[in-house]
Amino acid sequence: MTLSNVILVVDDDPAIRDSLSKELRAAGYSTTTASDGAGALHLFQTSAPDLVLTDLSMPRSDGFELIAAIRATSRLPIIVLSVRGADADKVRALDLGADDFVTKPFSVAELLARIRAQLRRTTAPPSTALAFPDLTIDLDRRRVMQGGREVRLTPTEFSLLELLASNAGKPMFIEQIIARVWRSAPSTTADTVRVHMSALRKKIEPDPSDPHYIVTEPWVGYRFIAEPL
Amino acid sequence: MKSPSLKIVIWFAAAAGMAVVTALSKLIGLNASTVGYVYLILVLLVSVSGGLLVGTVTSLVATLCYNFFFFPPLYTLTIAEPANWFALAAFLVSSVTVSRLVVAARVQAEKAEQRRTELETLYGLSIDLFTATNRVGALGEAAGRALKLLGAREGGLVLFEGSTYRQRVISWNGDRPDEIEDLIAGVGRHKASLEFPSPLGRDVYLPLNVGGITTGALVARGTEASKEALESAAKLVALAVERERFIEANAHVAALRESEALKTSLLRAISHDLTTPLTAITIRIGSLERRARGDRDMMEDVTTIAEETSRLRRRIDNLLAMAKLEAGKARPRPEPTPPGDLFRAVRENLPLVFGSRPVTVHVENDCPDANVDPSLALEILVNLVENAHHVSPFGATIELVARRHPLDAERLRFEVLDRGPGLPPGIVDAEGNVATETTDDAQRGLGLEIARSLAGAMGGSIGLAPRVGGGTIARIDLPAAPLPVEQEA
Repeated sequence: MTLSNVILVVDDDPAIRDSLSKELRAAGYSTTTASDGAGALHLFQTSAPDLVLTDLSMPRSDGFELIAAIRATSRLPIIVLSVRGADADKVRALDLGADDFVTKPFSVAELLARIRAQLRRTTAPPSTALAFPDLTIDLDRRRVMQGGREVRLTPTEFSLLELLASNAGKPMFIEQIIARVWRSAPSTTADTVRVHMSALRKKIEPDPSDPHYIVTEPWVGYRFIAEPL
Repeated sequence: MKSPSLKIVIWFAAAAGMAVVTALSKLIGLNASTVGYVYLILVLLVSVSGGLLVGTVTSLVATLCYNFFFFPPLYTLTIAEPANWFALAAFLVSSVTVSRLVVAARVQAEKAEQRRTELETLYGLSIDLFTATNRVGALGEAAGRALKLLGAREGGLVLFEGSTYRQRVISWNGDRPDEIEDLIAGVGRHKASLEFPSPLGRDVYLPLNVGGITTGALVARGTEASKEALESAAKLVALAVERERFIEANAHVAALRESEALKTSLLRAISHDLTTPLTAITIRIGSLERRARGDRDMMEDVTTIAEETSRLRRRIDNLLAMAKLEAGKARPRPEPTPPGDLFRAVRENLPLVFGSRPVTVHVENDCPDANVDPSLALEILVNLVENAHHVSPFGATIELVARRHPLDAERLRFEVLDRGPGLPPGIVDAEGNVATETTDDAQRGLGLEIARSLAGAMGGSIGLAPRVGGGTIARIDLPAAPLPVEQEA
């Protein structure tokens, strides 16, 4: 975490906007706030934030327009504050380029963890090895160590793990996984992904009752949840 | 139709006219040619007013009189001059032809007049039915007026309600003997009209057919109106009845739509208006937690507020989810979900429960994934674990287990095992399910009902059973996803 990271908070409700800013400042971030998409876009251009935290439903230029406008020029991390039950909105926001979402009402601890993950992902230098608690992925030698033992993975399973681990914290659509791992081969279906994912999880998860690395993200796909060391 | 007395008068008038014409012609001394024209005029007048029979008879009598009184030798029925045979024959042919032509023209005129009257009646009926009415009773009044104008002495409009024997009389004029109900039912069953001669004209029973369905019958008794006019009237009434039904159904659908729209906007408003302050409260709780560090009493208070806020949030979410499912605004979206993911999500959702007592989690090796809506399945487990937490004594372990269903290969079973007071003996049924009564029902109440409702929406079920050594086992049976087949890439 960099103490000078600036977070742009966009929400039409002043109570949420103010309390969120206060908590983010207490966690060491600088904040700037806007009450709608148009104001946020102006701040995005003038104050160069490191991350955007935005509500979706707002009067006058909503969160979707904001995401699309930011993605037209920048790869800045965007976390969406979504309302429970508005799953279609959540998927649409991810499709437009949002990096993650939290469902209202959320706990501050959960939100801070998501923010850390996003900032780390964008600032981490390219590495030949990914290290997580009890899991090391050597990208050059294509070897995986879990809990001190080597885990033998098929090439597809390794590609899956590499894709998810290098996007740790970010929800991955099944379509994205098919596009990246299978290069959109026409015969690949969601079931193909599930079969390989199931095999991969059996190999790397020490306890299937309590997954530490890969979890199913309802109606989206999968998410790698372990935090990099 | 002319009355019998009028017919007799016309016959007498024809005879009298013949006598007067003959006598005057003799008296004045008209020549034979002129007399022929006068006789023709008489035949024409009689034909116009009396019809074909009296016109033809008058022609024949005029021919005889012409011969008897005006062709030599006079006062005999013989003809001396051969040329007069031709004159007499020409007269006979002319007078019969004139008589026929005049009668045919008169019949055509009468028919045209009847058609005009019928068309006017049908036009009036269509105006009545399609512009002036918006209720079934008014249809009956319009049909009654039309039947009267079409000359029906009795009859009316009858509609079927579900079956042809459940008849609703919308309007009726005159007597309605019992057999009429059977006749109307027959018309409804066969979807064809019936027609009988009657002392007053004809009795016609017409089905009201629209789109192959018979919705009722129009009855015209003692009418002389053309069948075409009656059938057209029946078609108009049938269309109007269908229109009324459509308007009624449309109004019903519109009311339903409004009610659905109201429900949707209400749900959206509740969802938004309750979620926003709850989010602000949750964030403030985070702030309080930070400030309460080091102050044990305050931290305890903040923790309680956090726990209760979290429960409140969950109850609102659950009730909204149930309302949406019941209103058809949402449907469960099942997808293969590993039980371990659900247990992990339960742990994340109930940090205070997991932090305050031991909770063990076990997924059996051969346990399939659940084919469930993950968010609903999570709520079921969270509600049941919360219940178990509230009924269990301090420090007692809660166990969470996922396994293959013992009897049904297409299901899997989650179990939440607690060490609470348990169920009263004797109310457990053969499958291990229990009705609603439990010793700790007040604490399980709403949470259990929510869990049952959500499980039912996904084709699952929940049962409670006593646990050996004390406590309760909550069993959640849910559909299983087919196990993925492992394969090497």
